[in-house]
Formats: sequence, structure tokens, C-alpha cells
Amino acid sequence: MNYFIFVLKSAFFDFSRNKGRTFLTSLGILIGVMSVILLIAAGLGLKRYINQQFESLAPNLLRVVPGQILQGGSFRGGPGSFGGVQFDEKDVIKLRRVKSVDYVIPTFTKTIKASAGKNSELTDMFSTSSDIFSALNIKPQYGQLFSKEDVDKRTKVAVLGPKIADKLFGSADLAVGGSIKIEGQRFRIIGATEAKGGGGFGPDFDSYVYVPYKAGYVFDPDKKFLAIIVKAANNANLDTTKKDIEDVMLRRYKEDEFSVIKQTDLLNAITSIFSIMNLVLVTIAAISLIVGGIGIMNIMYVTVTERIKEIGIRRAIGARKFDILSQFLVESVILSLFGGLMGLLLAWVIVFFVQKIFPAYINLTTIFIALGVSTAIGVVFGVFPAKRAADLSPIEAIRYE
Amino acid sequence: MIKLQNVYKDYQLDKGVFYQALKGITISIKEREFTSIMGPSGSGKSTLMHLIGLLDKPSKGKIFVQNKNISKLSDDQMSTLRNEFVGFVFQQFNLINKLTVLENVLLPTVYARKTLNFDPQEKALYLLKRVGIADKANSYPNKISGGQQQRVAIARALVMQPKLVLADEPTGNVDTKTGQEIMKLLKELNKEEKVTIVIVTHEADIAAHARRVIKIRDGKIE
Repeated sequence: MNYFIFVLKSAFFDFSRNKGRTFLTSLGILIGVMSVILLIAAGLGLKRYINQQFESLAPNLLRVVPGQILQGGSFRGGPGSFGGVQFDEKDVIKLRRVKSVDYVIPTFTKTIKASAGKNSELTDMFSTSSDIFSALNIKPQYGQLFSKEDVDKRTKVAVLGPKIADKLFGSADLAVGGSIKIEGQRFRIIGATEAKGGGGFGPDFDSYVYVPYKAGYVFDPDKKFLAIIVKAANNANLDTTKKDIEDVMLRRYKEDEFSVIKQTDLLNAITSIFSIMNLVLVTIAAISLIVGGIGIMNIMYVTVTERIKEIGIRRAIGARKFDILSQFLVESVILSLFGGLMGLLLAWVIVFFVQKIFPAYINLTTIFIALGVSTAIGVVFGVFPAKRAADLSPIEAIRYE
Repeated sequence: MIKLQNVYKDYQLDKGVFYQALKGITISIKEREFTSIMGPSGSGKSTLMHLIGLLDKPSKGKIFVQNKNISKLSDDQMSTLRNEFVGFVFQQFNLINKLTVLENVLLPTVYARKTLNFDPQEKALYLLKRVGIADKANSYPNKISGGQQQRVAIARALVMQPKLVLADEPTGNVDTKTGQEIMKLLKELNKEEKVTIVIVTHEADIAAHARRVIKIRDGKIE
């Protein structure tokens, strides 16, 4: 105990005598630890953000899409992915016969130019059935949503997301009762939806122009669907339902011509892509930690040279090589840990402010990583200078002026 | 207590070029002796002191410390023996300036591997009183005079209750009057604390304080 206090006192004396040097040396580690933590925090935030996006959609949704885009939770490219087969009304009818299925919703999306008066915007048309609103829990803010009747009668009506309504009409309530032109075809606006949030990484429901899919055939002359959304019953086993859907689809398509995707699969796939990107960024940031470590090593060599005489005295009165080694190792670890703690603190302050616009956060693991890594750097980059100090000959050291 | 048998020490100056600092030294120092080793600079007395002080090993010949041959000791064992058996007093005082006077005196106990049969703090304070600078316990070495620093060094040399105190030109950096006081103190300690004292010096009048004077010249005993 006494021994440790002596070692610490000796270290802190030198740090306070060389405040500027101590700070600059720690600065390297500070910057490294800070950037690593910020990137980890951003990655965690991104994950949380994506999760929130998906949570805003209804759970127990299954998507039937063309091609094989998901394999083992990650995207897989290659032949057949996107634009393989396209589905049609027959598939929808067959899928409705699967048990534990609440809704089977055909969807067709297309980027279109929508215009109202002088305003025009490029946005996504979402051509679908009226069940989509219940399935995705979309409610009208103004006016009403289109009905099954509208779909069957091919009524040319549209429901706008609040963002696109704002852009075209200035305000969503003004849009209702008006009309827009989609690629030259006039559609009557019967409602505007509540804001659903999203956009950015998920689908931007607030910018959709919803039209009944049969009216939407105008833009889709082959009467094909790009995806079929299936909402399973609340008590259904999602995996069983998925299997049932696959069996139905297999009667008409080959195995690699379509995929049935669970919401969580999609979430996992997206998350895994961002995790890899984040890992790459964190690795790059970690290089700055190595640079910081070299800074510490350099200063420790200087410190050892400055204190050769002290080392000689300590050796003469009975310090072993190990005592000298541990003394200098403790100093380099303190230097590095100090930098790490300051980096952590600074990162925490930055994250605190960033949280107002982005859900980045620092978890306990990150804190342990930061402190563990800075300690490790202190040891790894301190061990060579400390070894040099320990290996000095006592006689030469004590004679050194 | 310490026996040197036909001890040689060579230093390598360059590749294949050696300098022979000691050429067959045989001496024996008994317990509670007050001995001085005297010789001009370049005589090999510092080398001899390093060997007696267990800071170095001979190139040839044998050194026995309490009948134990030190040539077979490891670096750690030598360190431990230095810690427990020898106390050094240097010409340059060699105190650590960032530690207080009391902490400097305590420093050897920090490196002690054996359980001490005394309270270090108490012992250090007693020794500071004994060498007459109890009031400087919490001062820093660079704030006190050279004579006072040398007294701190003596207190530090004694704290582990060593058998041997080895003083290398202990009066070399203080004025004559202080030098006399230091010598008087060392003599008293030899008598009262029952420690063996070996003084290395080039000054005949300092060497004369000792009961026995070993003269060395060109690496040989005269």
C-alpha cells in the first residue's frame, strides 16, 4: 500500500511539474478515445433509430417480394434479386386463403410527378388496397381514407401523406377536396393522413400519394405488383404463416423467384449493414489511438532519460528492476488513462447535445471499452521505455549528470 | 563481515580494449570497524566502493558478504542485499528532490522485501532527530543546505538498520566545518548504532578520522 502511494506520488509530481507536456501527451489519447466513442455512440444511435422506424410500422407484417434478397439475415445480390418475377391479382386471391392471415395487400410503387396548380413535386405513388391503412395503422388527419369500394370501382381518388400535401397545397387541410395530377391523370383528394414519422432510412410514409390499386393500373398496364404485404393475425405464429405463404407461392413460382420477408429479417439485414459500416469507421478512428500511444511512448522515453539519476538512486537503495519497471509503467498508464477519461467526458458532453436531434448514446460497454483500451495502450506503449529504465546499470545511472 | 579475495575488475572501453581498474585486491573488513579507503582519483577506489556496496560484481576473484559469495547472486538478490545490508552516503547527496526529507529517509523501507521489525515512520523520525534535522522532516531537499542534505542521506542510509554504511566522499560537497561535523556524526553512529562504516576519500585528513586506513593506488593496495 505504502509502496503504491510512493509510486503514485512520484508520478503525479512529474505530471504537475510538466503540466503542458502531460496534457499534450494525453491529448493524443483523448482525441482517439473521443472519436472512437463518438462513432460507437453514433452507431448505437443509428441502430436505435432504425428500430424506432420499424416499430412505427405494425408488427407481424410479412412481405412477399420478387427474387431472393435475403439470405441468413443479410442482403445477397446476384441473379434474381429485384425485378425477377412480378405478382398479380391471382397471387393475392390465393394468399387470402392462407389461415391466420388478416390482410393480403398488393402494392405497387412508382416514382411520379404529382402536381397541383403551379406546384409540382417528385414523389412516390403507393398504389394499394384499402387494407393498408388498417395494417400499417395509418389514420386520416383530414378528410377520409379510400375504401374497398373505391378500389373495386376504380375511383380516381388519392390520399396524401402530410409532407407531400404541405408541399403541394401549403397545408394538408387545404388539400382535401382539391385534386392533383399524377403523370397527367387527375385524382380527387379525399384525405390526408396523420404524420407517421420516418423517412431518412425507412420508407417515408408521409410523402406517399396513396391511390386505390385498381385505379393505379393506369400507371401499371401489366397489372403487376412489386410486393404483397401480408398481415398475420395477432395470435399467429409468424414463422408458420411464413411457411404457409411460401408453400402457396411455390405452386406457381420457383424457389429463387420470390422471398417472404419478416419485418425482423429486414431489420436485421439493415442493422447488420450499418454495423459493418460502423465497425469500419471505428477501426479507422482506432488508428488515432495508436498514434496517441506512440506519443506516450516518446514522452516516456524522454522522462526516463530525464530521471536516470533518480533511477540510479532508487536502484542503489534496493529497488529491483521490477520496481523501476512498474513505476514507469504506472506513469504511462496514468497518462493514457487520463487521456481516455477526458476523451470519454468530452464525448459524453457532445453526445448529450447531439441527442437533441439524433438518438446517439453511450452505454456501459462503451465506457469499459474506452477505459480498457486506454489502459492497454498505456501498458503496451509504456513497457519499452519502462524496460529501458529498469535495465539501466545502477552505477552508470547514479553517476549520470 | 566482508572479504575480497584477489579481486579484479575490468571495464571494456571499446571493442577489445579493456581497462583494468582493480588488479588483485584482497581485503577484509570486520564488523563495527571504522575504515577508510584512500587513494587519488583514478586509483580504483570508486570501483572498489561499487563492489563493496554490491552495485557491481568483480571480473575475477571472490567477494564474500557474511560468508556468502556474491558472484552467484541474481540482480534481484543483489538489490535485496543492497536494501538490507548496505546504506549509501554519496558525495552528491543523491536525494530525490520531489520527495520530502522524511519520504527520502523512508524510501529504502518502501523497497524492503522482508517484514520490518520496526515502524518505518517512527524510525525515520528518530533518525532525523538523531542527525539533528528533525525540524526539516517535511521540507524538500532543494530547500535545505548541503550539510543538512548530507544528514538526510545519512539518516536514509541507516533506516534499514544495515550492517554497513558506505560513504563515498561524504564531505566532498560541503565546507570544512560541516565536513568535520559530518565526520563526527559518522563516528558517533559507528559507536552508538554499532554500524560498520567504510569511507572512501582522497583526502588524507578525512581518512585520518578512521581507525584503519586502506590506501589504494593504480588498482592495488599499497
